[in-house]
Amino acid sequence: MIRLHNIERSYPLGRGQMFYVLRDIDLDIAAGDFVSVMGPSGAGKSTLLHILGMHDHGWTGEYFFDETAVHHLKSKERATLRNAQVGFVFQQYHLLDDLTVYENLDIPLSYRHYSKSERAALVADALDRFQIVGKKDLYPRQLSGGQQQLVGVARAIIASPKVLLADEPTGNLHSSQGEEIMELFRKLNEEGMTIVQVTHSEKNASYGKRIVQLRDGWIV
Amino acid sequence: MLNDLRFAFRLLLKNPAFTTVAVVAIALGIGANTAVLSLVNALLIRPLPYRAPARIVLMLEHFRAQHLDAIPVSAPEFVDYQTNCRSFDEMAVFQPGTFNFAGGDRPERIFGAVGSADLFNVLGVAPIRGRVFEPADCTAGHDDVLIISERLWRHRFNTDPQIIGSKIVANGRGFTIVGVMPASFEFPIPLFGIQGAQFGERADVWQPLAFTAQELKIRYSRGYAIIARLAQGASAKQTQAELDTVTAAMRRNYPDNYPKDDSFGITAFPLNEVVLGPMKPLLLILLAAVFLVLLIACANLTTMMLARAASREREMGIRVALGAGRWRLLRQVLLESVFLSLCGGIAGVLLGVWGLDLLKRIGTQTVPRLSEVNLDWHVLIATFVIAVGTGIVFGLVPGLVSGDPNLTETLKEGGRGLSSGARRNRLRQALVIAEVALALVLLASAGLLIKSFVQLQNVDAGFNPRNVLTMEISLPALTYTDNASQARFYNEAQKRIASIPGIKNAGFTNILPMSGTNSDSSFNIEGRTSDDKNPSPDEEFRRISPGFFEAMEISLLRGRPFRESDNADAPPVTIINAALAKRYWPNEDAIGKRISIGASAAKEKWATIIGIVGNVRHRGLDYDPLPEYYMPITQTPNNQAVLVVRSSQEAGGLISAIRTALHEIDPAQPIAHVRTLEQVVADSVAPRRLSIWLLGLFAAIALSLASIGIYGVMSFLVVQRTHELGVRMALGAQRRDILRLVVGHAAKLILAGTIIGLVFAFAFTRLLAAMLYHVSPHDLTTFGLVTVVLGAIALIASYIPTSRVIRADPMLALAHIA
Repeated sequence: MIRLHNIERSYPLGRGQMFYVLRDIDLDIAAGDFVSVMGPSGAGKSTLLHILGMHDHGWTGEYFFDETAVHHLKSKERATLRNAQVGFVFQQYHLLDDLTVYENLDIPLSYRHYSKSERAALVADALDRFQIVGKKDLYPRQLSGGQQQLVGVARAIIASPKVLLADEPTGNLHSSQGEEIMELFRKLNEEGMTIVQVTHSEKNASYGKRIVQLRDGWIV
Repeated sequence: MLNDLRFAFRLLLKNPAFTTVAVVAIALGIGANTAVLSLVNALLIRPLPYRAPARIVLMLEHFRAQHLDAIPVSAPEFVDYQTNCRSFDEMAVFQPGTFNFAGGDRPERIFGAVGSADLFNVLGVAPIRGRVFEPADCTAGHDDVLIISERLWRHRFNTDPQIIGSKIVANGRGFTIVGVMPASFEFPIPLFGIQGAQFGERADVWQPLAFTAQELKIRYSRGYAIIARLAQGASAKQTQAELDTVTAAMRRNYPDNYPKDDSFGITAFPLNEVVLGPMKPLLLILLAAVFLVLLIACANLTTMMLARAASREREMGIRVALGAGRWRLLRQVLLESVFLSLCGGIAGVLLGVWGLDLLKRIGTQTVPRLSEVNLDWHVLIATFVIAVGTGIVFGLVPGLVSGDPNLTETLKEGGRGLSSGARRNRLRQALVIAEVALALVLLASAGLLIKSFVQLQNVDAGFNPRNVLTMEISLPALTYTDNASQARFYNEAQKRIASIPGIKNAGFTNILPMSGTNSDSSFNIEGRTSDDKNPSPDEEFRRISPGFFEAMEISLLRGRPFRESDNADAPPVTIINAALAKRYWPNEDAIGKRISIGASAAKEKWATIIGIVGNVRHRGLDYDPLPEYYMPITQTPNNQAVLVVRSSQEAGGLISAIRTALHEIDPAQPIAHVRTLEQVVADSVAPRRLSIWLLGLFAAIALSLASIGIYGVMSFLVVQRTHELGVRMALGAQRRDILRLVVGHAAKLILAGTIIGLVFAFAFTRLLAAMLYHVSPHDLTTFGLVTVVLGAIALIASYIPTSRVIRADPMLALAHIA
């Protein structure tokens, strides 16, 4: 499903020198896979995730998504592909503070031109599926960290992406909440969702089917 | 869209301080625009209240050799034009008139006009009741009909439905009311500006004009203005050629009355140009001023929105990560800014309405057509467009910036985002520079006008307006049928009023200085011949009673003033002013010299110059004094006069005593237009004062907005640098070092804005040249002063946020993560 070949990401340091965040990354991720990316701070984990999520455009190399050559796509085409295929879960949840739970779930759909009735149906379905119907009118600040991340995951998958990218999804949660989220990921993966997560936790990594280790920008 | 709108509303409610400042800034900008647009709409754009006003012309003659550029015509001249011109559909003639209405609690003098049969056809306005004039009304003995205004019908006749056919007594004569004109009808308009015409008030009565046989013989007695409607398709060139043909024939046929060359002629002035022309420069300057205010408001709001965009980078990053495209984010920000702008626009319209009310309350009596100014749907639509445009302008840059977040940086844990980006800071700083520059342009303009006005207030008018009361009197021709009866009234009134306790002097004049009225007359100088190359002099001419110079405190430089003994039976006498003496007797004594006016050579009555008085700035404080000559009102009677009374204290309390004194002589004699002379002088500069008030107000708004802008940007930059400043302080920097660092940075921006502003101000203030009095449009003192004031206020605005940081504990600053 995802094939990276010779991906490199660097920043200029001045005087013609470059600082490489990622070096010569070759990675294949099959449909239904659950990959955990691990490595020390500064290894390039989040950068890799943002390249996979097509948030970062400053890389070189080849990136194929379902046989689509992402490296040949223009910025707008990448955004369209991302909106259709990728969901994102963040460590800090990144719910919009001034929107209710319902509205936070609705917003990715509104960016994807769903009709009003379709959006209402999908949001109702997500609220029901994640058992947060009672919280739909609450604002993020009125929820616990676990509940916020639950909404974050619901929001990431509400538009039915093929791939879910998660950047330290349990980093801000205590252990029991973390386990709940990871169990949810396992369930989603079992239902067919391809998942790539960045994590520092061996335990969380073990929920995945395989682990990719990064060090100083290299896959080791 | 609805969701975005809901979100925008929620955000504005969540940040009441931001919302309030933004709405106030927009309201000030849009309010100023609404008010000035209303002025422009009413005074420049909205057509005059007549049918097809573009085809109406006002025709005035000129005698260029005597420096008379626009004077009325005489009755036989009008007949010539009406008979011989084919370029006009209709032509009428009119002159102002006053009507003393009898009945009611006390007699009332009402302003109006006398007009020929086609007057209302030229104007193309139909009455709401009754009829307009018919040709039969304009024949001698049949002119005893009146048309009244809707206002007079309402106020004096309680909207009596049976008004048509009612009989009333005016000027001692019986009249029948035959028509009522609509409320919107106004004629003549004060701005017609015809020399000698009294257009100080709105007309409420119109009487048909019936020329007397005597009048139709006298070509030199010019008191009528011609108003005419151009025929469809008649060009200005063709019309003027035809008029030139008619005046050429007059010169040939009446060689005693006209010069042989073409220095005599008549010009057809488009009415729109006559009425609107003088207002145009001022209104365009005001329009430019409010546009600058709006630009400053926009710059201010852009900086505020940019600061807010910085604090919303995370939100925008999340939105992009969730699928929002660049246009969608731009739409979101624009929706917020336009929503904000519309809120400000509504507040601005309310502010504009309030401002217009205030403006009308201040200036309706003195600024022509100001009463017509209102907020109509044209202005509302324009305001709506401005509000939306404003919202787009100040939302666009922040919207574009927000639509392009660096996701990797923004979304990662602890990401600082790009709020500290140098590009955005440069933009903010550029906006501050622009605000300072624009504010300086407005301040310099307002400063020049204020200085000009102060100069004007210090000008010696040639008389002392303090403790002087003036009022107008009109002696009806039917009651005061001859010169003797008029002279008796003036003498008796002058004596009685002068004897009222508290009154120092009293006198009459037919023309009061600075009242907007004027008269001139040609005269011959004994021993000097006149011909085409040296025509008879024509100078400002006044009829006054004894006591007038004393009441006005016009200085007598030589000779003696008029006395009661200078009556109709006594030898004619005249008093001239210093300017006239200097012009015609530059190297000799004018006292004892003789002049004659208004009669043919065979009947010349020579008047001896018995005195020379000081010059009076008759046309206004900003006009140089002109040569004037005075004659006793008892020797050259006039049925219209202004009573001038000087008292030893505030004169207002003496009105009833004066009225009683006049009623003892003639109980049917009303007084009108009672004003202090100070008020007359103030009214004469009212349009100028109003423009200063407005431009001053806009400059003050601009200064406030610029200060808020500078304060906002400096606060933002200081907050951004709090951590850095904390480190500096921890490393030993003194407070003054920090102050120097931050305020010095602000000073550079202010300096840059000031330099750019001065360049623009130099260009802009040239447009003000015509409105300035004895002040150069590039007056260095004014430019220097406003630069210092603006610089000082801007520095204070940048000092306040800095001082807050340097007073704080360095450890707190160190803990701060920008």
